[in-house]
Amino acid sequence: MIKIFWLAIPIWIFVNLGCTEIDVPLTDPPIPVTDRAVLIEELTGVSCTNCPKGAAALKAIEERFPGKVYAVGVHGILLSEPVKDRSRYDFRTQAGRDLESSFTFLGKPAAVINRVPFSETFMGNPLTGQWQAAVERELQKPHVLTILAAVNYDEEDRRIQLDITGIPLQDLEGLYTISIYLTESGIIDAQQNGNMIEDNYTHNHVLMDMMTSTNGDVFGTDLKKDEAVRRSYSYTLPTTPEGLWNPDNMQVVIMVAANNGSDRSVQQATGIYVRK
Amino acid sequence: MTSSPSFMLRYIFIIVGILGVQFLFSQDQAVVSGALETNANVFLRDSSINAINTPQYDRQFFGGEAWLNLNVQYQGFTLGTRFDVFNNSNLQNPNDSYSGTGIGRWYIKKRIEKLELSAGYLYDQIGSGVIFRAFENRPLFIDNALYGVQGKYEFNDSWNLMAFVGKQKNALEVHTGNVKGVRLEGFILAGSEDRPLTLAPGIGFVNRTISDENMLKVKDELRTYQTVDRFTPRLNTYAATLYNTFSYRGFNLYTEAALKSNDIFYNAFAEKTELVGTTLGKLQQNAGSVFYGSMSFTAGKLGVTLDAKRTENFSFRIDPTLELLRGIINFLQPLNRQNTYRLTARYSPAAQEISEMAYAADIRYAFSKSLSANINFSDIKTLEGQRLFQELFTEVIYKYKRKWQILTGIQFVTYNQEIFEMKAEVPLVRTIVPYADFLYKFTRRKALRLELQYMDTEQDFGSWIFGAAEYSIAPRWNFEFSGMYNNKPKKANSRGEIEKIFYPSGGVVFINNTQRYSMRYVKQVEGVVCSGGICRLEPAFSGFRFSLNTTF
Repeated sequence: MIKIFWLAIPIWIFVNLGCTEIDVPLTDPPIPVTDRAVLIEELTGVSCTNCPKGAAALKAIEERFPGKVYAVGVHGILLSEPVKDRSRYDFRTQAGRDLESSFTFLGKPAAVINRVPFSETFMGNPLTGQWQAAVERELQKPHVLTILAAVNYDEEDRRIQLDITGIPLQDLEGLYTISIYLTESGIIDAQQNGNMIEDNYTHNHVLMDMMTSTNGDVFGTDLKKDEAVRRSYSYTLPTTPEGLWNPDNMQVVIMVAANNGSDRSVQQATGIYVRK
Repeated sequence: MTSSPSFMLRYIFIIVGILGVQFLFSQDQAVVSGALETNANVFLRDSSINAINTPQYDRQFFGGEAWLNLNVQYQGFTLGTRFDVFNNSNLQNPNDSYSGTGIGRWYIKKRIEKLELSAGYLYDQIGSGVIFRAFENRPLFIDNALYGVQGKYEFNDSWNLMAFVGKQKNALEVHTGNVKGVRLEGFILAGSEDRPLTLAPGIGFVNRTISDENMLKVKDELRTYQTVDRFTPRLNTYAATLYNTFSYRGFNLYTEAALKSNDIFYNAFAEKTELVGTTLGKLQQNAGSVFYGSMSFTAGKLGVTLDAKRTENFSFRIDPTLELLRGIINFLQPLNRQNTYRLTARYSPAAQEISEMAYAADIRYAFSKSLSANINFSDIKTLEGQRLFQELFTEVIYKYKRKWQILTGIQFVTYNQEIFEMKAEVPLVRTIVPYADFLYKFTRRKALRLELQYMDTEQDFGSWIFGAAEYSIAPRWNFEFSGMYNNKPKKANSRGEIEKIFYPSGGVVFINNTQRYSMRYVKQVEGVVCSGGICRLEPAFSGFRFSLNTTF
């Protein structure tokens, strides 16, 4: 009986403790010098207890890849309702609802990174710790399109005039669409954060509206290398609610994406502040 | 993230079916058995109770599941398959929709003298499951079967050794990453014949190896951490457990001690350093332990059970980046009472993996054949002393001949909603629930059961009244109607209104031999749903539920 009992231990040692595990190195992958930029559509909400983690992850990515990442905080439907008796603003917009509805995702926070699906089922990546790796993978892809943007803001009538030029760096077959987001950063308002509510949380990249349709406007078909595509848009900033729509904190984010069957991937993104 | 089992195995279901039928007609020894379980839900959108914003309420309107088991036993072989269907199912994620169809399980088992060999999708456990438990819990979409092989050798009538190796099932696929383990169990009889003393000792070891694919995810996440939170990740984790059941006359003592080597796990309550400030939740790598003891004794009309459990850093998953109920290799026993009445079960705690110190006591006393009482107390805190859950539950049962019976009592609960439901800045929920259950038998076949419960609380949704009536005509029919009324509401619905809402439910059950049909209309408030001590928060439900269960 005792012999039998002790039999299990050497068997286990034989099976498992043959050698010492070699340390797994935590090295960053090589990122080529590129003018390619990545769009992150962050699905978030002020009633989402884990969303500050998403915002923190996003900030770290922006710091790591300055000028290579443009973010849009989509406050759509899920967990986006204002915090009762604490929120000053309601960040939900029709554009946000429509955008969120167009993505498949498991929960919030989730990031749609260059509109490349996270898995077979979901477009939104719910693993904040994986966002940077996904951005790195996108930055390793070839730079195929340059987007130049110029914005002219009229102080008197609060009108934005936006001129965009897209220059393909190679022939791009199929249909391409352009989407233009108006975002605002530095908004101080309530946010659920874990098991507490932060009244003075700083909300960044909040999607305020879109200057194109939610699905994007047609940018062109079968784009030819070096043949520039030009588009112009205008938008008048509202004056209400008070405290929002501050042009000093607003950015226009522009992206061109494929629209070919299931391929909706973003080809290039850029951003420009409303008031420089 | 996942890989599919060999496509060849998809045909096992058909083969087993064909063989089973052939055996049935050609060999007397062949035994074919099976079971079907079906759920079908019709979703009726109702914004007044927040039964909205899921694919089922918004556009799909229907969701359901079905499981068909088929088993054949022949000349020492046991073959089995299960066909699974998920059609816009909300089981995997109550807020989302999942569809999938395929062979959910197949297995082959053969006994060769003292050796029993099994292959396929297998269910088993070591001890109480602290270091390994492959199990299924359909209401929570848990099917943690081991997809691999298992051998069990019986040295004699008392001692056996079991070893296994494989992967963990993931819905209709399997997780990457490997699990292997060994379990040695025995039975020792001592003492005299009229006063036997028995011991049932066991020892088990488990090794989990994270797949390269999943380790890449861990690495990708750790690379984003600030230096203070980084660590060098390990692929292998070893866990061991030693357990024993001691029995002497009316006294039983189960003890188990389990240790786990450095393992990567997600701690939702750990502070993570960010570029600016901190957030909650990060990957950690720590050793873990569980110590569990359960003592019970009966002396005449008295029965006493005492339990204690200490858990530290014992989240054990096939992939450390998985959360909630996904990829769990083990099972941590809940110590609190598993209540069944609607309001007494409303606030139930899930066993905590990271930090928990739990005690429970259950005392039963039979005053006479017709009168008995039960008092149960459980207390759960974190190892740091934060209150998680406390319950005092009393129950008195009085039976009048075989004509009627009344069961009544009162329950006091303190429940940490911040921890169990991850809700921000909510106070501890404190409830007082008096309840009564009255059963009256008109005849041997006809009976009426009435339930009445009241929950008094100032927190969460506020106070509730629940009433139910169930009329049964044995052995075929059962009619039931129940209502839950939020008489002192505290919580606003999606329209921002605080309303006194009535949640009616009603249905009929028809039983025909081994077939059980059930059709119910259900309007149900959001709440924690627990099954076997595993819990999750489920949204409100509004609609019809049909179920069919049968065996053959």
